Parts: sequence; structure tokens; C-alpha cells
Amino acid sequence: MTSRTRRILLTLVLGLPLLAAVPWIASPVLVQFGINMLIMATLAQGWNIIGGYTGYSSFGNSVFFGLGAYGVGIAMAQFEQPFWIGLGLGLLLAVVFALAIGLPVLRLKGHYFAIATLGLAEVVTAIVSNVPIAGQNVGLVLPLLKSDVLFYELSLGLLLVATLVVFWLSRSRFGLALIAIRESEEAAAVMGVNATRYKILAFMLSAALTSLAGGVYAYYITFIDPAGAFDISLNVKMIIMAVFGGPGTVLGPVAGALLLSVLSEVLASKVTNIAGLFFGLVIIAAVVLMPRGLADLTQKFRRSGWRYFAQNIRDHRL
Amino acid sequence: MLLAQVLLNGLLLGGLYALMALGLALVWGVLNIVNLSHGAFIMLGAYATYFLFTQAHLDPFLALPFAALALFVLGYAVQRGILNLVIRGPMFNTLLITFGLEVVITFLAQLFFSADFRTINPVYAGTNFDLGGLTVPQVQLMAFAIAIGLTLGLWAFLLHSRPGRSIRAVSQNLLAAQLYGIEPRRIYAVTFGLGTALAGVAGGLYGTVSQINPYIGTALTAKSFVIAIIGGLDNPLGVIVGGLFLGVAESLTALYIGPTYTDVASFGILVLVLIVKPTGLLGRTA
Repeated sequence: MTSRTRRILLTLVLGLPLLAAVPWIASPVLVQFGINMLIMATLAQGWNIIGGYTGYSSFGNSVFFGLGAYGVGIAMAQFEQPFWIGLGLGLLLAVVFALAIGLPVLRLKGHYFAIATLGLAEVVTAIVSNVPIAGQNVGLVLPLLKSDVLFYELSLGLLLVATLVVFWLSRSRFGLALIAIRESEEAAAVMGVNATRYKILAFMLSAALTSLAGGVYAYYITFIDPAGAFDISLNVKMIIMAVFGGPGTVLGPVAGALLLSVLSEVLASKVTNIAGLFFGLVIIAAVVLMPRGLADLTQKFRRSGWRYFAQNIRDHRL
Repeated sequence: MLLAQVLLNGLLLGGLYALMALGLALVWGVLNIVNLSHGAFIMLGAYATYFLFTQAHLDPFLALPFAALALFVLGYAVQRGILNLVIRGPMFNTLLITFGLEVVITFLAQLFFSADFRTINPVYAGTNFDLGGLTVPQVQLMAFAIAIGLTLGLWAFLLHSRPGRSIRAVSQNLLAAQLYGIEPRRIYAVTFGLGTALAGVAGGLYGTVSQINPYIGTALTAKSFVIAIIGGLDNPLGVIVGGLFLGVAESLTALYIGPTYTDVASFGILVLVLIVKPTGLLGRTA
């Protein structure tokens, strides 16, 4: 067992009971904040698979989130099915969508992929706003389940599943293939990696985790509409959290999501009027000073100290 | 007749769209930065023109060069002081840092300019004239002419002037350009400054034909993207075609399908263009 594996397992074993105990000791407000934070962390982790490991910066993950939310919404509000059926429906919708869209869109590289998925997100939002079964522009109202503890533990479980999936990914043949694609798609193809198949599988896996988070979130807030469920800025948040934490690492995106959520929450409550400004400045400073995220920072800071930041600038400046 | 009028309106709007996208396409094509704060610079240009008009009582069209100059200086400083520090990093990072810039600029704009809607309203704002039965709004026509003129001007500048050649050299091969004595930090900053200056002019014109507030940036960035993709990043003339195409497509969609569908149309076109021909309608084939 390498030291990195040991650290990841240690974090899970020590951190989990602590996080799981929160709803029984903390105030309701804190639990609600926790639910949002855990959902965000799951989304960042889902994005990590396609964006961090495979190197395809998807702006379409908010679509998967929306489809997951609408799966639950349609099943529960329109057909009075239990939550689990809706979760399955959302999962199915998202995975099928990822497959259908992945085939043409994953041929595009770099910025072009990012923008094509952004365009798709706009198109899907507009389509859903006009589908009667999805409640059109008005949205859907879900049955109310007043149990924040349940939603908290559900979100935590989901984050655990997502993290374990990424953990498995980081040491499996599948994950290595994705990293190879990220580093050089041509070289990967030469080494016998079927790039198209792996990319689509990664996209579907990312879609699956993201849609589950969307489903849980829909049931939690009990109301969904197209503008909220397919919000592009949610996708931007996923990216920021994953990149801030360290894309292509197991715990980085989770750490990034937790830290940034806490930071923006504290700022919003303490100094409301400059919270937005500070968030923007944090992003700019983070990209300049620690472009490979928290994960890289914690590894190297001990060795090189403050020079770490100067080195980053020296490496990436013109 | 209605169709002809709608087509005309679409074309006039398209010229302005082209100018909006021009700076984004230039920066993207030369520096390989997708500038998510482009729309925010357009917004700043609109406010610069607005305040020159209301405070200094300058005609909005005469205020444009000053807005352009201010935005050039700002853009130059941003590239020199911030973006040059991360330009050799991973692609996400330039995307992310310009997003951070957008957040900061929008916040400051809201702080200093308030969230009120404003319009740049010179006395001749409502003037129309008749052209063979079609109504031509004067301001829109002037905006269109300036937009097309600047696009052609940029084209000539890149092709024939010395700094223009330096910009093209840097975009083709950075190392070779350096060997020929080009200082890339300055050229990068000049290019980004040109991009924001064009955004500034586009913003000033946008303010004369539409309402402005601190939050218009994001939507304008998205629109500029679509146009840059449709037109390709290779030359400014492609951007004109992309802008006109989008303007007409949006107007026709609004007429035949419904105004709420204009975004579906533009982004649908975007996705189709990307899938069929990722280098843009007029771009080189890969």
C-alpha cells in the first residue's frame, strides 16, 4: 500500500464518522449548509472524471444534474412513484443522453468541446421548458419530506460512492486509459487504447453520478424549474471547485468543494457586500499561485515552502 | 415586406454582433485564451460611453474612441499584470481566471454604477428614414457601419501593419517570433488590449441600441462565442459572416417560431457547426 493510498483511506476512515455525526450534533442551519456542500462536492467529483481525469472540460454536466432532477420530479410529481424509481429514471435519462451526445461531441477537443457542451446545455434547457410532462416553464412541485437528517446522510453516501468510484478509477486500467487520453490522445491510441470508447464511458460515468446528485437535490428542495435545474453557473462552480482542489486527484475536488463552500458561506454571512468580489479574487489568486490545486499544494508546500508560489508563476508566465 | 424588414433588422443587428465577437475571436485566435470576461469588458465600454455622454455631454459616437482608449489601457494592464503570469499553464486555468475577472468586474460595476438599467439616448435616437418602403433606424445603421468598418480595419491592420504582423507571427510560432526580436509580453498585452478596445466600442454601440446594466456581460460573452465559432478564428472577415448569420437567424427565429426560441436557434446552430465543421464555416479545414 503506497503512502498516498494510505492517506486516502485514512481520510475516509477518520472523516466519515465525523461527517456522518454532524446532523445529530449541529444546528439545523448547519445541516442544510452541509447538504448543499455535500451535493456540490459530489458534483465536483462527477466533473473530475470527465474534466480532471479525461481532460475534457465539460460544460454539459449541469444538463446531467437537471436530467437527474427531472427524473425524480417527473416520477414523483406526475406519476406518484417512489423516490427511488425517479432516481433510476433520472440516471437512465442522463446516461442515455451522455451516450447519444458523447458520440458526436467527444470528437471535439479543448475549447471546442467546452463550448459545444455549453451550447447543448442551452438547447436542453429550452426544450425542457416546452415539454408538458416536465411542467414547462412553471416547473414541478415534489411531495415534501421534512427530514434534513435523511437528506444529509443520503448526500454523504452519494459523495462516498462518487469518491470510491474515483478512487477505483485512479488505480484501474480504465482510469489509466483516461489519463493517457488526457496526456495525449494520439499516443494513447497508438498504445492500443480505444479512445472513443473510454471517453464515452467516462462521460457516462460522470453523468450517472451527477444525475444522482441532481435527483437527491430535487427531492430535497421539493421544487424544480428549468432555469434552476439546468443552471450553467452550477457547472462553472463544479469546475472551480474541482480545479481549486486539484483536478485528476481522488480527494482534491472534495477538499476544494468543502473549502470554497465554507469560505463563501462565511463571507456571505459576515461581509455580505464584498463576498462576490472576494470569490472572484480567490479564483484569480488560486489560478496564479496554485494552478494545480490544493492537492498539489499540500504535497509540495512542505518541501519548498513559500517558494512553491513563486515557482508556479515562473513555470507558467510568458 | 415584413420578411424584408426583418432581414434588414437582422443584418443591422448582425453587424453589431460581429463587432462584439471580434475582440473575443482575436484574443482566442492569437493568445489561445477564451476570455470569459469579454462580455464584462463590453459592459464597461457601454458605461464609459454612457458617462462620457451624460457627464461630459459628448456625442456617443464621438465618445467611442475615448471608451476604446480607456478599455485598451485596462486590457493591456490586465494581460501584462495577470494573464501573462498564467498563460503557459493548463487550458482550464486561463478559462478560470477570466471567469474570476468577470466576477470581479461585474461586482465593481454594480458597486459603482448601481444595478439600474440605462440607455445611451442622443436626441437623434428615434430617427428613422425610409428606403424603398423599408424603415431604417439611423442609430442602428451607424452602429452597423462602424462595426463593419472596424472589422475591415482590423483585418487590414493584421495583414499590413508592423504590429499586426508581429501579432500574427506570435500566434503562428511564438519561438520563431521571439528569435526575430518580437517581445511577446508586450505583443500579448497589445493584442489583449485591442480585444478589449474593440469590446469597448461594441459596448458603446450596444448602449445606443439596447439597455445596459452591470449583468449583461455573461450573455454577451456567450453570444460572442457562438459568432466566433460560426465564423472561425482565422480572420476577421469570418467574424463578420458569423455575426450577420446569427443576427439574421435570430430575427427569423423570432418571426417564425417565437422570440423565446432565439437562444435555442443560436446555440443549436453552434452545436451543429461544431459537429459538422469545428473550424468554423469559413475556417480552414482541419
